[in-house]
Amino acid sequence: MDAVNLEEQVAERQQLFITLYQKVFPAVARYVSKCGGSFDEAKDVFQDALLSYYEKSRSANADIKSSEGAYIYGTARYLWIKRYKEGQQTTQLDDSATDLAVETIVPLADDKLLNFLETAGKRCMELLRSFYYDQLPMTKLAQLFGFSGVRSATVQKYKCIEKIRESVKQKALTYEDFLE
Amino acid sequence: MNNIAQTEAYLLKRVNPANSLLFEAKMLLDRDLQTRVSQQQQVYTLVQQYGRKQVKAEIEAVHQQLFNQPEHLSFRQKIARIFLR
Repeated sequence: MDAVNLEEQVAERQQLFITLYQKVFPAVARYVSKCGGSFDEAKDVFQDALLSYYEKSRSANADIKSSEGAYIYGTARYLWIKRYKEGQQTTQLDDSATDLAVETIVPLADDKLLNFLETAGKRCMELLRSFYYDQLPMTKLAQLFGFSGVRSATVQKYKCIEKIRESVKQKALTYEDFLE
Repeated sequence: MNNIAQTEAYLLKRVNPANSLLFEAKMLLDRDLQTRVSQQQQVYTLVQQYGRKQVKAEIEAVHQQLFNQPEHLSFRQKIARIFLR
């Protein structure tokens, strides 16, 4: 794996996040502060809004990119009201249904398996993540991971799915043993 | 590998409704395929979780950078003033 190329991707994202932090966080902080909220609350909702923006903007959606500030600010505000303001009024502690903007798609993490894959299957996870999560085009993927072309990158992608699927299968077997 | 590609097309909804139905019929008759499809679905879920976890950590790292490094002092002061009131 070409670590240097991947580092470039990380650096690019870092620059994006710094820019958006400087651009939008002050407005979110002002809103939260005005409503009586704290710095930590502003940080919490801003970071989730930023994550949501990142996930939404990946698939080359021009609409959201041209109004990034409005999207992040609006999402953060929505999350703050849901998590902290409504929570106070109704003294509800349950925040499971509040994360509409961010947590709709991905279910709870299987931490053990994920931790295992983060070390044992790192290369495959990075490859799959670049394609399915960051939604980079196959040409970019081939270049990043040092494949000769789209075709061999595609083959490798399927091999990685198979490899991770094997881990999922092994995990299922372990659980069965445990239950017996 | 063909199997994985077909399953992917089905799971990520990249097939037309007719082929999707056909695939579901195949699954009904083939328990092994059923299991493999469900495992492959878990792979995509894991990849999403993995990606999200990394990006969250990257965002937190940026936060630490902005709120600890000397070159971002003015940004920090700006935010501090907001919460002083």
